[in-house]
Amino acid sequence: MRYVTTIGERQYTIEINRDDQITIDGVAYPIDLRAIDEATFSLLIDHASHEALVETSNGEIQVLLRGRQYTARVEDERASRLSRSGSGLHAGSGEVTIKSPMPGLIVSIAVSDGEAVKKGQTIVVLESMKMENELKAPRDGTISSIKVTLRQSVEQGQALVVLT
Amino acid sequence: MFRKILIANRGEIALRIQRACRELGIHTVAVYSDVDRNALHVRYADEAYLIGPAPSRESYLRADKILEVARKSGADAIHPGYGFLAEREDFAQACIDEGIKFIGPKPSAIAAMGDKAVARATVQKAGVPVVPGTEGEGGLRDEEITSIAPQIGFPLLVKATAGGGGKGMRQVDRMEDLSGALASARREAEAAFGDGAVYLEKLVVGARHIEIQLLADEHGNVIHLGERECSIQRRHQKIIEESPSPVINADLRERMGSIAVKAAQAVDYHNAGTIEFLLDKDKNFYFLEMNTRLQVEHPITEIVTGTDIVKEQIRIARGRKLRLKQRSIKQSGWAIECRLNAEDPFNNFMPSTGTITRIERPTGPGVRIDSSMYEGVEVTPYYDSLIGKLICWGESRAEAIIRMRRALNEYRIIGVRTNIPFHQAMMDSHRFIGGSFDTTFVEERFELERDARPEDERIAAVIATLVEHQFEQHAAQVVRRNERDTSNWKWIARWERMQR
Repeated sequence: MRYVTTIGERQYTIEINRDDQITIDGVAYPIDLRAIDEATFSLLIDHASHEALVETSNGEIQVLLRGRQYTARVEDERASRLSRSGSGLHAGSGEVTIKSPMPGLIVSIAVSDGEAVKKGQTIVVLESMKMENELKAPRDGTISSIKVTLRQSVEQGQALVVLT
Repeated sequence: MFRKILIANRGEIALRIQRACRELGIHTVAVYSDVDRNALHVRYADEAYLIGPAPSRESYLRADKILEVARKSGADAIHPGYGFLAEREDFAQACIDEGIKFIGPKPSAIAAMGDKAVARATVQKAGVPVVPGTEGEGGLRDEEITSIAPQIGFPLLVKATAGGGGKGMRQVDRMEDLSGALASARREAEAAFGDGAVYLEKLVVGARHIEIQLLADEHGNVIHLGERECSIQRRHQKIIEESPSPVINADLRERMGSIAVKAAQAVDYHNAGTIEFLLDKDKNFYFLEMNTRLQVEHPITEIVTGTDIVKEQIRIARGRKLRLKQRSIKQSGWAIECRLNAEDPFNNFMPSTGTITRIERPTGPGVRIDSSMYEGVEVTPYYDSLIGKLICWGESRAEAIIRMRRALNEYRIIGVRTNIPFHQAMMDSHRFIGGSFDTTFVEERFELERDARPEDERIAAVIATLVEHQFEQHAAQVVRRNERDTSNWKWIARWERMQR
């Protein structure tokens, strides 16, 4: 079975044909994976020992290894090819809704309707956990709709601003 | 003698104080908000009382409700912890009026140090050097501040007179930015302290933040427990502290310590307190402010001096004389504290909320954890993002750093994002290791590289793939995909163990 596993912007092609061996980007390694408990996995790969906490949610696999959390998407090769051919249609176009990452209070709205914004530009300032947090534009675009008002309390996941 | 102490706080510090009470044989009373019923400070206490809804203003800041609980439960004393009501002289006074001992300084000392503008003026009179800034004691209007600013010079800091923890503080580099900074600092100060008054202070360029821990009894004895280096900050919030400081020698420690003692005596200070100084490149130091309470980072001082500051606080509040003498205070080895915050260091340190589904803590030599986390606890957006403190001790600074690296590697938390990767990168940073940094280091010269560990990322990819593969292989035989619950990883693990 061949998988294409994506972490961030990097892809790994991993082939699993036997229980005790995998091929990563063409190179074979002996492996031994054990579940220690419901979330803890111990991996011996070419005798190198690694231990990670693993959790899945919404089709993604979270791997916590040596203090760092990696978000992986694992697809078998056929699914991966399909999703790659489709992805070109959406890149950089269409609507992006900026949602509140947590409950809080809108303390500043730094943009106005119809304004052109650059990636990384501050859109709104959300106060939560006693701190002001700047929510930034995920890409260049135009503000097509502002769905909140100043001093409004918002819930987690609530739509704040729509970018086109 | 105290039989019962009410702890007017939550989180790790409430737990820390309860532990001291336990060791002293004193019963503890916890207070909690709607969302904290399952919190560790409630579970650990001898008694616990609900005081209101989640927002602090309706619960942990409600002095009246807390005093009502103190009366009802028969508490003899209240320990305020840090934050919330810890530096509110009206609360300290209300405790006295109720005949309940407030474990902290007198209301007059809190008031004198609590208004940062008054504090500057007071200690200056006692011969303590202060950073140049706005004079006088009252809250200034925007027009007054705008006219004084050019005389102080840029860059400068706008600071909340009621401030602490960097809330309501803004750096201003140019006159044009002043009005925006004033508005946002006032807004944040108003939200955090219910008081939007601000003052100005010249920004000391290249400064380190060094603070001196004090203990003062009610019989006129004041000692210091040496310094803490707190220059590793982000947005004026301390993230890593250490004791001793890599740039302080015995002579400077003594000079800073005795000036700190003077500053405390200027307000007839009792109990534990901390004098914060800025230390410039030429080793001149200036009084910044006094924190009239227990500090978040108190454990590093406890570890290097072999003291228990919280127990000392309780003894002092009982009216005992200090048992410790200045000459008996020695620093032994080196301690570092990393503050663990529920925030995503790869996403602009955005606070992260949710349920901690899994936690494994480092142990072994030289490791201390002060934390209120456990598996299943929910991190809510209502309070500070500090969820724990990891403190490591070593014989030398180098050993403390290496031990901290090891402990950070062992710490596993899933469910919320934490700043552990930030701490790991700092422990690997040449400048941190070399001890050459100032308070601007994190924001101006420290880059957290996403890609620092390509080999670990590859291993993570392998583990993710193997787990998914096993799941696909085994789950398909038993249940259809759409019938699986979201925690299918649990299922795999169970299956795995069944096969052995």
